[in-house]
Amino acid sequence: MKNGFFLFVGLFAAIGLSWAGIVLGSYAQLGALAPYYDDSEAQAFPQRLPGIAAKGQLVYRDLNCASCHTQQVRRPDFGSDQARGWGERQSVARDYIYQPWVQLGQARIGPDLTNLQSRKPTAPDEEDLMEMLYAGQGAMPAYRFLFRDRLIVGQASDHALALTGALRPGPGHEIVPTSRALALVAYLQSLNTTYDYPEAKPAQGGDQK
Amino acid sequence: MTAQSQTAPEEAIAAEPAGRLPLLLLLGAGILWLLAAGLLGLVSDIQLHAPWFFANCPILTHGRVAALAESAWMYGWVGNAGLALSLWILSRLSGEPLRAGNLVAIGAAAWNAGLLVGLVGIAAGDGTALPSLHLPLYSLPVMLAAYGAMGVSGVLAWAGRRRSVMFASHWYAVAALFLFPWLFSAAQVTLLWAPVRGVLQAVADGWYTQGLWSLWLAPLALAGAYYVVPKITGKVLPSYEAASLGFWCLVFVGPWTGGRHLIGGPVPAWIASMAIVASVTLLFHYLIVLINLREAFGGGGTALKFMAFGVAAYVLGGAVDAVTSMRGVALVTQFTYFDVAQQQLALAGGISLMIFGVVYFAVPRLAGRPWASGSLVRGHLVLAVLGAALLVLSLGAAGLIQGAALNEPSVPFSEIAERTRTWLLLATAADSMILFGNLLLAANFIQTVACGRRASPEALAS
Repeated sequence: MKNGFFLFVGLFAAIGLSWAGIVLGSYAQLGALAPYYDDSEAQAFPQRLPGIAAKGQLVYRDLNCASCHTQQVRRPDFGSDQARGWGERQSVARDYIYQPWVQLGQARIGPDLTNLQSRKPTAPDEEDLMEMLYAGQGAMPAYRFLFRDRLIVGQASDHALALTGALRPGPGHEIVPTSRALALVAYLQSLNTTYDYPEAKPAQGGDQK
Repeated sequence: MTAQSQTAPEEAIAAEPAGRLPLLLLLGAGILWLLAAGLLGLVSDIQLHAPWFFANCPILTHGRVAALAESAWMYGWVGNAGLALSLWILSRLSGEPLRAGNLVAIGAAAWNAGLLVGLVGIAAGDGTALPSLHLPLYSLPVMLAAYGAMGVSGVLAWAGRRRSVMFASHWYAVAALFLFPWLFSAAQVTLLWAPVRGVLQAVADGWYTQGLWSLWLAPLALAGAYYVVPKITGKVLPSYEAASLGFWCLVFVGPWTGGRHLIGGPVPAWIASMAIVASVTLLFHYLIVLINLREAFGGGGTALKFMAFGVAAYVLGGAVDAVTSMRGVALVTQFTYFDVAQQQLALAGGISLMIFGVVYFAVPRLAGRPWASGSLVRGHLVLAVLGAALLVLSLGAAGLIQGAALNEPSVPFSEIAERTRTWLLLATAADSMILFGNLLLAANFIQTVACGRRASPEALAS
């Protein structure tokens, strides 16, 4: 190989081909994916995130929660995602079209969160999520910096955490979530992809295992 | 490309002083970032078995500290040191002094300033949560421009070479130098300036991550390996003709292997299928690298030993990639510490050890002084190799346990954390060893560059 021109053309072709194939190729396939309109329910899916949840996704992103949590359910016969109650069907591309910053994640040090709001048997409510964030749980650290410990002046806050035992704040004090914690929890409570798109019917068995 | 063209022009030794300052500056910055990345990585490791560690400190919360460690390692350590060594090799192969040294110095300062701003941004909550591209948008254009400034010197060295012949290390160095700006800017545009929609973000990020590895990190390290191994052993590369096939295999097939991380995900299934085919095809590249660089295993100085372990880890990493790209294996290893083990085998093993090999060969020639302490070099070798091996084995074991447990729906996450705890403690110990070894390198580098004694040019003229 003596020809420098040949080297540059080759290098450019290598990077261009892979970019065109992978990025443009999947863009051609999925770039125009539209919401699915369900006649019987008279609305389209997926639905947009409520404003506060969209703000909460930014908190999720800036804390890089994706370093331990995925947001993708694999098909029922691939892994234990379904058996763990993370979702009855696999996640499909249409689930994510309205998410400004998709957080698929690459590690499951903690559970998947795609369908947090439709967990079986019971989904965690706002209070559970607040306490989990404040106190931590198992390998999950406590995110105390998302809360304020403050003196109760006048009436106690509606949002104050109902903590017991060692976590109970000092007398006359209350633990209240910051606006970031409220947004994050609103986001976590918006995580729900239970609508069955035509392409999301669970792929059972089959030959491609 | 002929066999006798193997030996590079010797007259380049006289060329050293022109590029000494900017290249040593880049190398020194790289080593500093390596220490920073090691420290941040250690915090992130400890948090995996002690979640309370720095939990109250938002700038060091686990997600952020992991992003900081990754960015500091990749853009700080390899970005600086890999680039310095590639420029050095290009200028030596050209037989001319390094040109545009001032641009390299200015570029180095701007690159590191941009990186520092980006890391502060991640710590403050502006991180993007995109693997390999955690740095916030506002730090990236400066880094791109800085890279371009440094690259000028490489282009001049390559275009102005005295012989029209190109060596294997030429191709790899030119590829890394030329392709990074394309990768970096394409990723910035599609992910941050005008983000693509939905899961396409994950696809584009997967392309970028794999591109960084196949078209930048690996070529930077291989440019060094292909230069240093024949230099030290004094032997012509075996199967030199095949080397160019190996090179083209890496640049054409490598970027397609990234989809293996998306197996089972909400992306088109052909992305993962292509990745399986590509990962297996890429074994050809690893085989050729092994054949080409097998002289590294013949024994010799410490630099060659670093190379031998680096090449072994690089090739082994390729084999593991091919195996885990299979859907049946990914079923256990996907989303676990096994992925991290694989990554560390390639990065802390393959890339870092090969770069250390070049550093130990290059610095005495660049600074005109022998290494201040031989025992520090040997200590670094032992710690770096044992540390990397222990790290990969312990994370691999943790990953297999985690993967098996994840597939049993009755095992809760707290139980998985318990089961993997011992192995994660071992991984922390391994990372401490690596960090300590790198401290030895830093101490030795500073002593050598700042206060070593000059060696006679003859002693280094090889």
